[in-house]
Amino acid sequence: MPTIAVEQIKERLKGKIPKAADVVFKELHTKEKYLEVFYIKSISDEAVLHDKLYKPFFEQQHPDEFKNYLESIPQIKSYETEEKTINEILNGVAILFYQDSVLLFDSKVDRNNSVLDTTVETTIQGPQSGFSESLPTNLGLIRKRYPEAFLNVELTTVGKISKTEVMILHDTRYADPKTLNKIKDFLSNVNIQMFQTGEQLLDAIKKSNRALFPVMLVTERPDRVAVNLATGKVILLVAGSPFAVILPTVMKDFMASMADIYQTYWVGRFLLLLRYIGFIISVCLPGLYVATTSYNPEIYRVQLALSIAGSRNAVPYPSFIEVLLMLFMMEMLTEASIRLPKAIGPTATTVGGLILGQAATEAGLVSNIMIIIVSAVAISNFVVPINAFSFSVRIVKYFILASATFFGIVGVVIGFFIFIAYLVKLDSFGEPFLTLVQSKPHKE
Amino acid sequence: MRTIGNWRIYGLVFSAVFLLSGCGFKDIDKRLFVVSIGVDLAKNSSKKYLISLKFAIPSASKDQPNEFSIVSEKADSMSEAVRILKTKVDKEIDFSHAKVIILSEEVVKTSGNAGIYYWFPRRRDVQGIAWVAIGKPTAQDVLNVKPKSEQLPSNAIFLALGKDGSETPYIIPSLLFDFKYRLIERGIDPILPIIEAQKQIFEINSVGLFNKSHMILHLAPEETKMLNFLKSKEEKSAIKLTKGKTTVVIDTQQVKAKYKIHTPKGKDPYIKFEVSVKGRLEETNRRVTNNQLSGYEKAAEKSLNKEFEDLLVKIQKADVDPLGFGIRYRSRHFNNDDWQQWKRIYPKITFKVVTKVKITDTGLIE
Amino acid sequence: MNRYYLYLILLNMLINVIMFVPKILIEYRYNGAVMGTLIAIPIGFSLNVLFTKAITKFPEKGFPEIFARSRKRWIINLLFGIISFAAFTAGLISLLGFVDILRRFVNPEMSFMYLLSVFLAGILLITKLSTERVMYLLEIVLFLNTPLILFIIFKAFTSDYLVWDSILEVGTHLFTKPSLKAIAAASYIFAGYTNLIIFNRIIKGKIKGWNFIMVFFLGLFNLFTTFFIPIGFHGSDGAQEYLYPWISTSDSLRLVYSPIERVIFLFLIFYMGITLMSVSVHWHLSYELIKGTYKESKKKDWAVLAVFACISVACALFFHTLLLNKITVHWMLSRFGLEIIVVGLFYIWARRQKT
Repeated sequence: MPTIAVEQIKERLKGKIPKAADVVFKELHTKEKYLEVFYIKSISDEAVLHDKLYKPFFEQQHPDEFKNYLESIPQIKSYETEEKTINEILNGVAILFYQDSVLLFDSKVDRNNSVLDTTVETTIQGPQSGFSESLPTNLGLIRKRYPEAFLNVELTTVGKISKTEVMILHDTRYADPKTLNKIKDFLSNVNIQMFQTGEQLLDAIKKSNRALFPVMLVTERPDRVAVNLATGKVILLVAGSPFAVILPTVMKDFMASMADIYQTYWVGRFLLLLRYIGFIISVCLPGLYVATTSYNPEIYRVQLALSIAGSRNAVPYPSFIEVLLMLFMMEMLTEASIRLPKAIGPTATTVGGLILGQAATEAGLVSNIMIIIVSAVAISNFVVPINAFSFSVRIVKYFILASATFFGIVGVVIGFFIFIAYLVKLDSFGEPFLTLVQSKPHKE
Repeated sequence: MRTIGNWRIYGLVFSAVFLLSGCGFKDIDKRLFVVSIGVDLAKNSSKKYLISLKFAIPSASKDQPNEFSIVSEKADSMSEAVRILKTKVDKEIDFSHAKVIILSEEVVKTSGNAGIYYWFPRRRDVQGIAWVAIGKPTAQDVLNVKPKSEQLPSNAIFLALGKDGSETPYIIPSLLFDFKYRLIERGIDPILPIIEAQKQIFEINSVGLFNKSHMILHLAPEETKMLNFLKSKEEKSAIKLTKGKTTVVIDTQQVKAKYKIHTPKGKDPYIKFEVSVKGRLEETNRRVTNNQLSGYEKAAEKSLNKEFEDLLVKIQKADVDPLGFGIRYRSRHFNNDDWQQWKRIYPKITFKVVTKVKITDTGLIE
Repeated sequence: MNRYYLYLILLNMLINVIMFVPKILIEYRYNGAVMGTLIAIPIGFSLNVLFTKAITKFPEKGFPEIFARSRKRWIINLLFGIISFAAFTAGLISLLGFVDILRRFVNPEMSFMYLLSVFLAGILLITKLSTERVMYLLEIVLFLNTPLILFIIFKAFTSDYLVWDSILEVGTHLFTKPSLKAIAAASYIFAGYTNLIIFNRIIKGKIKGWNFIMVFFLGLFNLFTTFFIPIGFHGSDGAQEYLYPWISTSDSLRLVYSPIERVIFLFLIFYMGITLMSVSVHWHLSYELIKGTYKESKKKDWAVLAVFACISVACALFFHTLLLNKITVHWMLSRFGLEIIVVGLFYIWARRQKT
């Protein structure tokens, strides 16, 4: 016979959870025994309930035998507090009332657990699949790539409403405990109502909630996660998001593509150098163009100066307007081709890039050289492998452009160094964002 | 982070204020680039000089070649001329690409032009690496020449003097800073190449030698070549020599010259030159076999010795010092009056030239 | 291995071009600069070694930390004040000198204040960073710029127009009586060690002997380059006519195949970064020392920086190039004296601390 305590719990739970269409309260009877099950249909896996609960219930005659069975299967947990239980129900756990005990039966449905292909950080060689949207699957993926006993996983929740589960992974040998504590503090202080994916943390790191540069890396590649674990980084996995967050992240990580370790040494180095050059070009080139054409044409050799002067002859406005105009067009194009369906994307680029550029020069709106510069900027911007970072870089070039417009070549150089100083000033959980020689993450 | 925000706002406000007042922002198409400057003596005028600027006018399309225009003005000084010239053109005159400065023969032959010579290095926008040359018959004529192969105005002179294009031993280019250096330094005197304007081409094959104020000596093309050998600046060259009835031409691949000033006590001072020439036979009017080469070497040495010595004596007689014997003497003597000593020694000094010629072979055929 | 130490020394060696050192040396080339330079080398070098040895007895501590528990506050505050003033003026001279160069060679139509403001913005931002971060930035700036300067120096040494005879001619004035001003100016090359007053905070461990050997040879090479290369290009008689011998020297170099033909622009672009860093390092030193004299207060920090900015603007209004040049000569002399006193006192004090 159910005791009074159990009865009370049952009543209170029923009271707390409103009678929605998918809330199920079932009573099962046989001659000898009696079971009540309470769960939310839409987030619980009824097949599991059927296989693991209903079938044995009707197959096993003796009440004690069934009780033993219940205690032996791995899905079962015992009741702790009412609050926790309500949370569990909302996450898809079924509550069992059997005899004089209340049991929690883990019947969470695990949808979206198919592993996705990488789409953002693609490499030519190396693994091609990324994370799934299911937390256990993702953890499984990492465990598989990182079979170490030192891998520690902690669970916490973020988000006032969403109460999203977040897993904190780190290798106890390599990770710096100070950094780890900072990260935990940070997570517990994050003030977000709906936490859906790790990217939301990028802004939360600033008091003002306005950051220009990301100081954590959001990745979709399990192999990147595994590699970073081994260098002492801390990984956050967010339930429902196919992206993992790597902390602390410095600029070097943003410039690294996973392809680097799948290439031979010199090829990898060359690609890295290429990226840094691309980074500098995309930041400085528009500013340099304005500074050199409008303040110091003597920098060019005479032949080049004359050909630029010639191509600018028909352009009716000053160089910085010309640059702004073209950069604006380019940003539009980039945005448009991201939004457009994949099938139309290339068409937009062709129409925009080729025809618009050609027509603009013909019409005398911009100079030929300008078109080359803008495309060089656009292309070199995409060389930066991590998207979040390359978006930030896109903005910085306007700062340099403005300073070039006002101060000429001095503005470009000083602006660039101020930008570098800003990067050096940034830090990611105690680690300086930019240094020439990154200190070894292994702290023995 | 707040600091950065503050600075940016501060910077923007600051710069916006200043932008209104204008600050040298001038687009490249609003500038008129001077590619070469010519200095002549003014004729039939109270003013002293005739200054000509050659502007490059960029063409919008790459199909048409670039045009140029020459604007001249009579004035007593460079700066005066430039001020007046500014009123004659629609765009800002930009001297930063003035790569050639041409002084007419008349100008360099008169003394008292230091003001003009110093105007160029004093200005920040005239390149220190501009070439200086003598224009013949006038600087304006040289500016006016437009060779057919030329894509940009004055590019032909740039290429010739810069040795990016043709390489010849008859040109001794001189850069502005070097010209100034030689004008001031005691013990070394300027050399300027002479550009002779003909209808559609230039001829640059002789040089003018300066003392500290004006041109003293004009060297013929062959002498120019010899001087170039002595400077060890030019290696690709040809030496013609006659031995008996045979005339051969040696294509030199390596010419090295070094000298030492000897001032033995009680004896006359002398300068000993050692020149080594290495090359191969290029042309001959009779058959020459490889065995006979040593004979030609001897003959070449003899004739070269004579030519070098003649040239050196000619320079010495004119009391100029383009090779820098004086500075060499000064640099090897610790006493403070070495310059006075040298001035006494130089007119009396004798030259001993020892040439070593090595003809490696007779080319692909004997 | 202590690269941070070398960076600090190297920075000073590079900035001397802006600090009128070549100008002063060339001015006295016939009147004792050669001997002066030769004398400055052992003096500068031994000051360097003494001070470095003394301060590395206090690992990872700057002056404010070393003297934190000293009782006679007013002496310490006075000392900090003087050193801080010297460091500030060092930065100020190079800043004003360089802005003047920029205004002459790069932006002739831009107003002085305008150019100064962009530099001040950068410098104050960097000055406020933590010591460690300033060093990281310095490392990056040097990394980006040093290959360029090495290339330019290489080009200068291999140029056809470098006349060794002119250099030797100046060398023959070896035996003239050395001039004190030349000694002071030449010893500035080695003065980078003074930055350790603050930057010792990030220097870990002992500075080994080969660091000093490096400093010695770098200094030798640097002095030779600074002093003699302009003479080789502009003549023993002509070099002193130039207001900025090194800038004009860089304008005498031509890169035949590069898209930028005139080396002067590469040179100036390179020096923009170096000057920015050098002024920032000096001012950081000055700022941190002043900070050491009062208790932590954000408002006061900002006030110090504001004073820095105001003084520079005021000086920019007051000084012109020739006056700046003259003052620099006297500044060099007083700096030289101050350096000897500070290093001497500190060395003796540090030895007594040990025993």
